[in-house]
Amino acid sequence: MKVYKYFLIICASIILAPAITFAQDKEAKITLNFEVVDSQKVCKALVVSEALPVKELSIKFYVKRLFSLLPIGEATTDENGSASLEFPTDIPGGETGNLTVIAKITEDENYMDTETTHDIKWGVIVKEDPNLSHQRSLWGSRSDAPIYFMVASDLIILAIWGTLIYIVFQVFKMKRISSLNKK
Amino acid sequence: MSENNFKNDKTTHETFTQEEFMIMKEDLLRPVQHWGFWGKVWIAFLVVICMLGVYAYYIQETKSKYVTVSLRDYTMWGVYISNFVFFVALSLIGVLMSAVLKLTNFQWYRPLSRIAEIIAVAAIMLAGVSIVAAMGRPERLYHLVIHGRIQSPIVWDIIVILTYVTASTILLFIPLIPSLSTCKNHLTNKPKWQMKMYEIFSFGWEGSPEQWKILKKSVKILTVLVIPLGVSIHTVTAWLFATTLRAEWDSTNFGAYFVSGAFLLGVAGMIVAVFVFRKAYNLEKYLTEMHFDKLGKALVLMACIYGYFNINEYLVPAYKMSGLHANHLLDLFTGEDSHFYWLVVVFGIALPAILPLIPAMRKPLPLTILAFFVVIAGWFKRYLIVIPGLAHPYLPIQDVPDSWRHYSPSLIEMTIVAATFAAMLLIVTLFSRFFPIISVWEVAEGKLEGKDEIINYK
Repeated sequence: MKVYKYFLIICASIILAPAITFAQDKEAKITLNFEVVDSQKVCKALVVSEALPVKELSIKFYVKRLFSLLPIGEATTDENGSASLEFPTDIPGGETGNLTVIAKITEDENYMDTETTHDIKWGVIVKEDPNLSHQRSLWGSRSDAPIYFMVASDLIILAIWGTLIYIVFQVFKMKRISSLNKK
Repeated sequence: MSENNFKNDKTTHETFTQEEFMIMKEDLLRPVQHWGFWGKVWIAFLVVICMLGVYAYYIQETKSKYVTVSLRDYTMWGVYISNFVFFVALSLIGVLMSAVLKLTNFQWYRPLSRIAEIIAVAAIMLAGVSIVAAMGRPERLYHLVIHGRIQSPIVWDIIVILTYVTASTILLFIPLIPSLSTCKNHLTNKPKWQMKMYEIFSFGWEGSPEQWKILKKSVKILTVLVIPLGVSIHTVTAWLFATTLRAEWDSTNFGAYFVSGAFLLGVAGMIVAVFVFRKAYNLEKYLTEMHFDKLGKALVLMACIYGYFNINEYLVPAYKMSGLHANHLLDLFTGEDSHFYWLVVVFGIALPAILPLIPAMRKPLPLTILAFFVVIAGWFKRYLIVIPGLAHPYLPIQDVPDSWRHYSPSLIEMTIVAATFAAMLLIVTLFSRFFPIISVWEVAEGKLEGKDEIINYK
């Protein structure tokens, strides 16, 4: 029964494959524009296919972060082929405030998957707090260990290892005594 | 007999008294001289277990750890870390049986000190091996040295283990020097390399008064040094837990609790070791019933101290039963770990605190059986400190596969743990087959009236 099911699915896939491929064959191009309207930041994606605007197409917007893409919203194109999204104002954009915005068409019935990337300085500028990052502290990095901590631990390590080394020297001293006696 | 053995110029500086020489010749060199059939079988058996462990480790390292080991996001420390804590605890045996008794002028430590020290050295080495097995990839140890932060308890642990291994090895080695000289002079039919080894490591020992003076001074300094070192190694091990945010480990009691537990485990381990050496090497003359009597009393004392810290550790939070603690405490008292928990309380704390109060229980065999259970309960005690602590984090565990909630060690993990035990026993066994397991001069010195007599003896 299972084999039969797989067979049917494979046959159906083979038959439908050209249709699906054909359906998604259309190419669309996204152009990103950024506008400030009434002190509101708006990100507009203009979708054009074969020199005509594309209507009612879902566009997904993302901002590139360190490990993956952060979804910021979704909008549908109007009759002019334009999808507008109110841009969030609280996304950290590092020291320069630069954000990489990505608009995507994914899994649409008619259009192939595509994406456009555009940089815009709409991010919140994040300045490193020198008090926090380079402070000598218990949570600091290896080079930012507190001085008292390093001095105390080094002194303990030196005292104990110094004693151990002294004792090893004593063992060799025993050997020296023995060779002196032989002479 | 003595004239025959003091025939050349070199042996006129023979270090030992006549009595001591007799003891040695008759009894203490025998296990080194004759290995015996069963002695070899025992070593072969241990080697096989060790090899199985090496193979299991090879599988763990070549296949993904997620395939071979049941450690997950919550219980990321499993039997490897509980085994590590167990071995660190066992290594404190050297501090108690050798250093503390020596400095407090108890004379009965003398035949026990070397047994305690070799167990300490072997245990602390295998503690290091357990940590490397837990790390997953061995090169992480190197990364810890290169990138480790001095503020981190893991780095303190590495430093203190390394220091303790070194100090214990030197403390084992220095009192061994006169024995090595004895082996060199009196062992026969041994391979050339073995005799050469005795020759090199006896460091030209002649037993001259200057040499005795240096030896005694060095041992004394090390004996004093090893006590704070031993206490700090186990306290730092406790801090690995206490500085981590888990309800069970959030305790100011932890360092003392761990150290007292280690002393209990040390005494129990010592009883088992003394019994085995006594029987296997026929050392009844040196490891006497008096030692079992003293060790039995020490077991009661240590179990009482450990019991006191356990009450602080479990019953005080249980009285309040705050939300965070209730979670894991109820699990231990009445929940899924309760069987384990109560068995450990009974065999690991209650029985050793009560039974040896009866004089008949301080005889070698019954005391050893009891001590054996204490050692096993000691291992499971560490298991109960590590695993239920991890399985009850501050934030409730939600939306995870059921296998992540409950930890049970895989076959690979258990094989590696078994191999660490075998390796420890192998180190101790091989040591006792190459060197006299009882420090002859310390025993003889104890029998003589004053120290001057042995220092100035020629």
